[in-house]
Amino acid sequence: MQGTIIENLSGKKLAVLVLLLVLGQIVSFLVGGLVAPPPSNSQNILGTACLDQRNANGTPPGIDKWMYSRPSGKCDIIDTHEITERILPIVYSFQMPTPRNKQILDYSRWQHSLIGVLQVDIMYHSHIIVPPTTKLTLDARLAYRNKDDPENAWKHYASSVVERNLDCTIDKLHEEYNYNCSILSLFELGSLFHDYYLLNIRLPNDPLKNVNQDLGHVTDLWLTVINQNGGFTKVWVSLKTIYFPITLLILCWYWRRIHMLSRSPALLEYMLLGLGCALSLLNLPLEYFTLVFDMPFMLLLEDVRQGIFYALLLSFWLIFAGEHLMVQDGDHKNSLKGYWRHLSAVGVGCLSLLFFDVCERGVQLRNPFYSIWVTSVGAKMALSFIILAGISAGIYLLFLSYMIWKVFINISAKRAVLPSMSSARRLHYEGVIYRFKFLMIATLLCASLTVIGFILGQVAEGQWKWDQDIELEMTSAFFTGVYGMWNIYIIALLCLYAPSHKQWPVEPSENSVSEEIEFSRLPTEPNEMLSLTAFSRKTAID
Amino acid sequence: MTTMRLWMMLGALAVAVPALPAEMRSNKNRGRGSMWWGIAKAGEPNNLLPMSPTSLHMDPTVYATLRRKQRRLARENPGVLMAVARGANQAITECQHQFRNRRWNCSTKNFLRGKNLFGKIVDRGCRETAFIYAITSAAVTHSIARACSEGSIQSCSCDYSHQSRGPSGVRDWEWGGCSDNIGYGFRFSREFVDTGERGRNLREKMNLHNNEAGRTHVSAEMRQECKCHGMSGSCTVKTCWMRLPTFRQVGDNLKDRFDGASRVMVSNSERTRGVSNAITSNSASNSVHAQREGLSRRHRYNFQLKPYNPEHKPPGVKDLVYLEPSPPFCEKNPKLGILGTHGRQCNDTSIGVDGCDLMCCGRGYKTQEVIVVERCGCTFHWCCEVKCQLCRTKKTIHTCL
Repeated sequence: MQGTIIENLSGKKLAVLVLLLVLGQIVSFLVGGLVAPPPSNSQNILGTACLDQRNANGTPPGIDKWMYSRPSGKCDIIDTHEITERILPIVYSFQMPTPRNKQILDYSRWQHSLIGVLQVDIMYHSHIIVPPTTKLTLDARLAYRNKDDPENAWKHYASSVVERNLDCTIDKLHEEYNYNCSILSLFELGSLFHDYYLLNIRLPNDPLKNVNQDLGHVTDLWLTVINQNGGFTKVWVSLKTIYFPITLLILCWYWRRIHMLSRSPALLEYMLLGLGCALSLLNLPLEYFTLVFDMPFMLLLEDVRQGIFYALLLSFWLIFAGEHLMVQDGDHKNSLKGYWRHLSAVGVGCLSLLFFDVCERGVQLRNPFYSIWVTSVGAKMALSFIILAGISAGIYLLFLSYMIWKVFINISAKRAVLPSMSSARRLHYEGVIYRFKFLMIATLLCASLTVIGFILGQVAEGQWKWDQDIELEMTSAFFTGVYGMWNIYIIALLCLYAPSHKQWPVEPSENSVSEEIEFSRLPTEPNEMLSLTAFSRKTAID
Repeated sequence: MTTMRLWMMLGALAVAVPALPAEMRSNKNRGRGSMWWGIAKAGEPNNLLPMSPTSLHMDPTVYATLRRKQRRLARENPGVLMAVARGANQAITECQHQFRNRRWNCSTKNFLRGKNLFGKIVDRGCRETAFIYAITSAAVTHSIARACSEGSIQSCSCDYSHQSRGPSGVRDWEWGGCSDNIGYGFRFSREFVDTGERGRNLREKMNLHNNEAGRTHVSAEMRQECKCHGMSGSCTVKTCWMRLPTFRQVGDNLKDRFDGASRVMVSNSERTRGVSNAITSNSASNSVHAQREGLSRRHRYNFQLKPYNPEHKPPGVKDLVYLEPSPPFCEKNPKLGILGTHGRQCNDTSIGVDGCDLMCCGRGYKTQEVIVVERCGCTFHWCCEVKCQLCRTKKTIHTCL
């Protein structure tokens, strides 16, 4: 009889394989910890308040007019800390990136994406009352320039008049203290294709439409731009470039193995194949293209790729547990239809997240300043999508834990019968149960390591260091470690669950007769079945 | 009120016992380290445009206030001088705000060449001097960090070693830049403000300690903000940064420390003090800071001052320290550059320091009824316009005799 490789592998070989995989895991953790910089970097940019050059009728100038302070000359700086007697048209200009180390820096395409977060400093004055929640209207315009362009050749990239909800509190009512205002997400660029960016922000002021009327004394606008670190992208892409061919090779090998069988592949084998494909899709180093082409949809694509992978992984776990239930209820188990209830939880959850993502990041492809959370309808919709995803996650967890609990109940029930079996059979079944549990433990270990790592990362607020002397970048190590772990996990599944060529060792003659009788009683061709399923069916017959 | 009484007694004591070490009095260089304060009054800061070649040729009056090392720093880091000037102005405004109701009201002299901006009071190692040193050093830290964010200083970096990195800087930035600004502000303030304070005598140690305390207050008031930007905007990836406090907050904290300042004397035992702890714990991502410093430099901040009253705790990093009781600020004292409280306004209902009893030092006060034209019923219109009505109100004003 043929089985999967995990059942036929000797303990020694299994140990060697596991050791290799653990080694791979440690390497991918250390690559992140020792080679890679932190995943992202932020620059805090203080807006330079310039005197706006308005049109004759007082409207803001056209979109080809840009205000910038470096090199100097284009901006009449206004001190916004003073309260003046008359209204001055102000435009806040932000030039990214700011110079450092006596050098004018420019963005590299390796830096992948740019996220802008706005902070508004509002000064407290006893005679100006700022309501706790204000609607802030911004006229935001983004321009870009490249290295070989002349210094004033800013080109329009995106512009929009957007609204944001500003929540401000203040603890001590002291004159000239700042309100504690919430941070506002301003823009998200999916690609960092150009070298320099310039953001001009105006706060329109219209008493008739009640635009920005109860804003209070805005002193400063701070823009924090977050970009992925080039070094991290490089390490990440190299990890992908290494893992991609490996998973692809193993996938091919696995598929060849299955094709060599005379029966049609089982559901679990299809699922494993799908999972392998999703992993290969995730591993596909598409980031290389961003170095040549402007691909603003990369953030969305990345989310979709991850979503497909998670959806398949979650479905795989369900089916893996379901296929080992060891209850006999005919052949219909071996199809996706039998799992529609369970899988619809995964489907609904992932689809609602996809909808949310398309609504937020999809629209941001057209308008980087867009946010779904501003309008009350949008916020309700986004929230309902997220709640729906949360509910499906809960239902999924319930299903999964119920199924796993049932598998374990069945296993322990069958184990009670084991002593009455013949020694060869008992050894075989004990081995199968042991390896099944081994894989369960591996899954649990991977999942819990991910969760623990994530929680530790959250507690440490992004910056975590064991020791001043050990320069281990924990956040990056966590990301590469987790990425490597799930790759290795799936590689291990593909290796260990591929059908084996090996025959069962020839049984000693004295008890082989009864064994053969028992095996031959099985409903389908036993030597072509997944032996775990065979085992479960047989024990059910027992 | 009781503190005020105690104060006056201490002041009287100081007059009665002029037992100051001769070495401290005769040190002519004492004020030299703080001459840069004059930069606040040296013309409009607009003359010193950042990164323009004109900033290399400094105004001679500005130039005269700076020591050689400070000139070098200004030359090597274009844009810095304007930030320092802005910081110095900020410090003066803040000091005058904090002390508007006290006998000493942080008055500044009209800037004259070779004279100290805050007057001769800084020749004394008293509380007020401690505050001046702390607030100016804090203002430079704050202002430099702000200018770094604005992009008006090109040399901001997280790299605290002296040699510039050259072209590798661009590669570093692409690989994984560090954008911490307060670290640079802290470091630059040490370089610039602490020039000339070598920590050789007690007064220099006091200055160093108070400068350091001012800087520490700025970095301690930094607040962390975070943004989640993982898959679908979830918190799987999170980036955090530090936000600069308003200078008013720093000023308030320093004023609190001024009220609880500790009088110190020198101690023989030198122990490692966590000078850089305050900053590493607050500003993200630089712990290299302390290690990169040269040995002599570390030695400079490595002292522990002993409290004058042995029962008190030794002063911490954030505490202000002083050496001698404050002189009385009641009467005009040209020797110390004290204007006295004659003609100052006071509050007759207050029992605090701004009350007429204390402010006028028991000399009494005159009360006048005046009609003041004031802005009232103000409404604020964005941006930055205040529409007010003018009200004529009858006001009672008390002025010290």
